[in-house]
Amino acid sequence: MKADLNKFTELNKTKFENRGKELRLGIPVINSVVIGNSIAVGFGDGTIRIFKAGQSSEPIKAHNGIVLCISKDGDDIITGGDDGRFLRISLNGEISEIANFGSRWVDHVTANNGSLVCTSGNNVYLWMAGRKEPKILEHESTIGGVAFDSKGRRLAVSRYGGVTLWKKDYSNKWKSSNLLWKGSHNKVIFSPDDRYLVTSMQENQLHFWRLKDKTDSTMSGYGAKVKSFAFVHDTKFLVTSGSNDAVCWPFDGIGPEGRQPICLPFVGNKLVTFVEPFPNENAIFTGLSDGSVFLSEIEKSSNTIIIRSFTESEVTTISVTEDGSSILIGDMAGNILWTSIWDEENK
Amino acid sequence: MESNKQVPVTVLTGFLGAGKTTLLNRILTEQHGKKYAVIVNEFGEQGIDNDLVVDADEEVFEMNNGCICCTVRGDLIRILSGLMKRADKLDAIIVETTGLADPAPVAQTFFVDQDVADRTKLDAIVTVADAVHLSSQLTDHHEAEEQIAFADVVLLNKIDLVDESGLETVKERIRKINPFAKIINTTKCGVSLNEILNLDAFSLKRVLEVEPDFLESDHDHEHDDDVTSLSFVSDTPLDMEKFQDWFSKLLQTKGQDILRTKGILDFTGESDRYVFQGVHMLMDASPMGKWPEGKVRSSRLVFIGRNLENMNLKEGFENCKSA
Repeated sequence: MKADLNKFTELNKTKFENRGKELRLGIPVINSVVIGNSIAVGFGDGTIRIFKAGQSSEPIKAHNGIVLCISKDGDDIITGGDDGRFLRISLNGEISEIANFGSRWVDHVTANNGSLVCTSGNNVYLWMAGRKEPKILEHESTIGGVAFDSKGRRLAVSRYGGVTLWKKDYSNKWKSSNLLWKGSHNKVIFSPDDRYLVTSMQENQLHFWRLKDKTDSTMSGYGAKVKSFAFVHDTKFLVTSGSNDAVCWPFDGIGPEGRQPICLPFVGNKLVTFVEPFPNENAIFTGLSDGSVFLSEIEKSSNTIIIRSFTESEVTTISVTEDGSSILIGDMAGNILWTSIWDEENK
Repeated sequence: MESNKQVPVTVLTGFLGAGKTTLLNRILTEQHGKKYAVIVNEFGEQGIDNDLVVDADEEVFEMNNGCICCTVRGDLIRILSGLMKRADKLDAIIVETTGLADPAPVAQTFFVDQDVADRTKLDAIVTVADAVHLSSQLTDHHEAEEQIAFADVVLLNKIDLVDESGLETVKERIRKINPFAKIINTTKCGVSLNEILNLDAFSLKRVLEVEPDFLESDHDHEHDDDVTSLSFVSDTPLDMEKFQDWFSKLLQTKGQDILRTKGILDFTGESDRYVFQGVHMLMDASPMGKWPEGKVRSSRLVFIGRNLENMNLKEGFENCKSA
């Protein structure tokens, strides 16, 4: 029996909301990570939840305070928390502690090709494949972000004053070089083709280096800090938050220097808080400060559809499963939407 | 974001041994049922009795915005942003600084970082001072002067260890550096907590209540303190354009030496009072409603800083008066 009890409240909902699963948890969503067709979400109460197709998600208590960061190592989830713990969590929910730093927060975690990394304060702790004890890479200031290149041979560490680029030589020794730019650098990523390194800064701007010749430049003009950015469709565009538009910088060919970004506008003039590429497409999901989420094709700005209507809380994460079939959206107030992207007839 | 969602942050400064930890533990034990986060520095005094204690590094960042005195505390941005993601909401946050810390980057963090400003607010800077040693500390360490200069409240502790004239001398010295700070005499930091918490000292509304002793600004340089204050009053309305021109140039060129400013301004042709307060070059300003009925409209302006006597402040202010 299906009554139309919710008919009125559902009038304003999108079809994605109507056919998906919505949770109102009241716990801030920190971030999420995609592992195949599962998505793991970290929360502000120290729990994580794992979303799999057709399965409900129970909270798994991982950290005592906040899940500060979440990433993956192969098929495992890795997390860092304000309880000083660096954890490995399997998709079945089994937790093992990799390291414990006591009262020091674990701010960033990442992994690639057998190497495992977490940061706490000024130090990077790097576990090489098969080693029990980490190698400690020291830096002069607190680390703002870490990223491996596609092969796991280079590790970029952003900090105050620039990026320290660690490179593994053929005898497996890590050597550092510096990419300097005044100011405090936060999140850092390599482009998928490993040609560029991009950081977001404490100022409302991004900085990038072309690694081949170490030329660098700034991307500015934002009204807010750029907290979310990602490369789209291999390295064709860098899409960024921090403005009322989703700002897409061209990185194909000669790169962005001297070229104008494509700006995708949205109704209502809300701040873009999260951007996520649609896998293998020239399209992006954009989350706004009012909780709404849109899907847009970058070079056809008229082609925008609404995925989630507003919740009045800023979008803090968007993840799409590897097969591009399902999307998870989370916000600061703990509202989650977990839904299929394609209509039944188009599958 | 709505202001009622902003968590108040109290900054505790003061030299080592002045009694910061005593005060901190009093706050934590007396405020039953409240959830506090305490941010301490790793070289601080030990023994803080709280569930949520976070280690900070006192990392000072220069902002890359062309303003040389615009520094912020990078560790505070990171920690406050992290704390705001907690599921359990905090009633307040207390930041303890080391004895040698400059309060300016702490205060500036709340002006400069939008995330911090959206979710938290600087409630007050409370400086714990040792009545016995403050005078020599003021002479020997510029940090001690800055901590007094930035204070909204000076908790003058250990007064049982000085005689009455010694106490008056040290209070006079504090007033000369900072005429708006409220001085509270204590032994063992015995102070009612509502005198140091939830003061909202950085709100513009509070500036309206500031009544420093304007007439007592006789500048006899008995101790020759580096940091001093100067204040100006005018019953003649000011010309808005002239004032903005003078004041922005002043901050741009002398902002490093000007530690704190506060003012209530009466502009020609404006029915509202204009209120501002600033830290170095950073400024918060807004019209704050009509002048009260029956009260004389007058502009008041106060500076705390170094080398104020070389800035032609009086002349600059006089030139802003409407012809």
